[in-house]
Amino acid sequence: MVESSISRLRTLSLPALLVLFVGIPVFWAFPEALPFWRALGIMLGWAGAGLLLFSLLLMVREVELASRLGGLERITAWHHRTGMAAYLLLLLHPLALAAAGWAESPELAWQVISPFSENWPVWLGWAGLIFLMLGLAATFMHRLAYSTWRWLHSLLGVGVLIGFVHVLKLGISAGGLLALASAVLILLWRLLRVDLGTAAKPYIVTSVRTVAQSMVEVALKPLAMPVEAVPGQFVLTAFFRGPSYRGCGEFHPFTISGIGPEHELRIGVKALGDCTRRMQHLEPGVSARVHGPFGEFLKALPDRPLLWVAGGIGITPFIGFLRQQPVETPTTLIYFYRDDRDAAYLDELTLLSANRPGLVLRAEATGAGVPNLDRSLPGAEALANHECYVCGPPGLIDAVSRALLERSVPIERIHFEHFDFR
Amino acid sequence: MTRQLYIASTTAFWLVVIGLGMTSALWNPVEQGDAQAQEKAITLAEVAKHAAPGNCWMAIRGSVYDLSAYLPAHPSPPNIVLPWCGKEATEAYNTKTKGRPHTPYADELLEKYRIGRLAKAP
Repeated sequence: MVESSISRLRTLSLPALLVLFVGIPVFWAFPEALPFWRALGIMLGWAGAGLLLFSLLLMVREVELASRLGGLERITAWHHRTGMAAYLLLLLHPLALAAAGWAESPELAWQVISPFSENWPVWLGWAGLIFLMLGLAATFMHRLAYSTWRWLHSLLGVGVLIGFVHVLKLGISAGGLLALASAVLILLWRLLRVDLGTAAKPYIVTSVRTVAQSMVEVALKPLAMPVEAVPGQFVLTAFFRGPSYRGCGEFHPFTISGIGPEHELRIGVKALGDCTRRMQHLEPGVSARVHGPFGEFLKALPDRPLLWVAGGIGITPFIGFLRQQPVETPTTLIYFYRDDRDAAYLDELTLLSANRPGLVLRAEATGAGVPNLDRSLPGAEALANHECYVCGPPGLIDAVSRALLERSVPIERIHFEHFDFR
Repeated sequence: MTRQLYIASTTAFWLVVIGLGMTSALWNPVEQGDAQAQEKAITLAEVAKHAAPGNCWMAIRGSVYDLSAYLPAHPSPPNIVLPWCGKEATEAYNTKTKGRPHTPYADELLEKYRIGRLAKAP
């Protein structure tokens, strides 16, 4: 009962906050006795501003807050959606204002938004919108190196700040100041706590072992207070200097593959980009900072049979769970990997499944292609009453989710995490 | 999908903005010119007769406006606006607070109160 009301609270928290963030400015600034298009233009501006602030708030990564709002994965998805929705409304904002002048003459419509009119509010409005445009364009360039991507993504923050100065310059002092102050606070909070790592705790690397091609398992010992994690969760970790190692100091998400008696953490690190490629050469003695734990995956498993599907490095939360505790209900783990060199933890998993009644392991080398899910996944009847957990590359998650839905597994019984926070 | 939405919306936005800019540049208000020629020419002397709060005309940028009905809704305190009743107020209109002009919205609003063009001084 308590569990279900907490989970309902988690589900409703983000929509409720969204209504507040959009509703308050729109209600406060609701224009009376203005022509329709002008009133619409103003409302679009304020709704966009509220959405932008909400989207900014969702960049803050506090352990407790993230858990209350349903996990970092969900928060990131909402950050993307609300940011995009804000952009669409803010594109329509000047167009609606121009439409208000159109009835009079095309010339007046153009004057309202023309960047050539000597008018600071209009210039700032354009500058803010163009920064949002460029920042979003960079956001969609997934091939960019993460460090470049991050810098370009921060153009969005600049766009938001300029946008609120535009509000101030229009003479809307109270609303403009409040919005600008909130945006500055949230951005500073994010910068200090997350990017500069003050929310993270100091750790030191104690061992590094290769578990597959381009993948190492790193053990870390806390130097002060440890993070209170459970297997299946993940931490944001940055590596710095060691005896001969120079880390790139960026925080990246890594799933916990084990927790030792002295709060020692083990994480799986696969070479997916420049920074994680460098981490393949980590050595004992490297200083690190660990922020977390985050993630709701494998937390509070229900009392019914489980289907676990892992692809490649997606095996990490499952091995983390199995190392820590027995399975309480019949569990089938289907593990897809490219070839034997990529099969991280396979020997250990084979041993675990032999000693654990209730755990069935089905490991499958797929080669370069997509696995044949029709053959590999159990049929609809065998899956009745199962709770399903999927972890792996986005393509695999999508394909498995689709296949499970086709097998009549209800959507609320399919859980996955992408571990992609771009 | 979000990426496609971004590309589509951004392209549509620029098409509308460029279209509007070009329409505005090419727009040739011949009819309006005729209308202006036919409309009433009001001398500054005539304007000066309407210098009271309830009967307030102003000459701004070559046009004459009867602002009597609007004044109670003007955001500035009365002592800022009222002294301009019955006068040529272009400079005051162009340099609101700290030398800033009125917004395009104000221009649009002003048009509703237009009653004629300002006759050239003899």
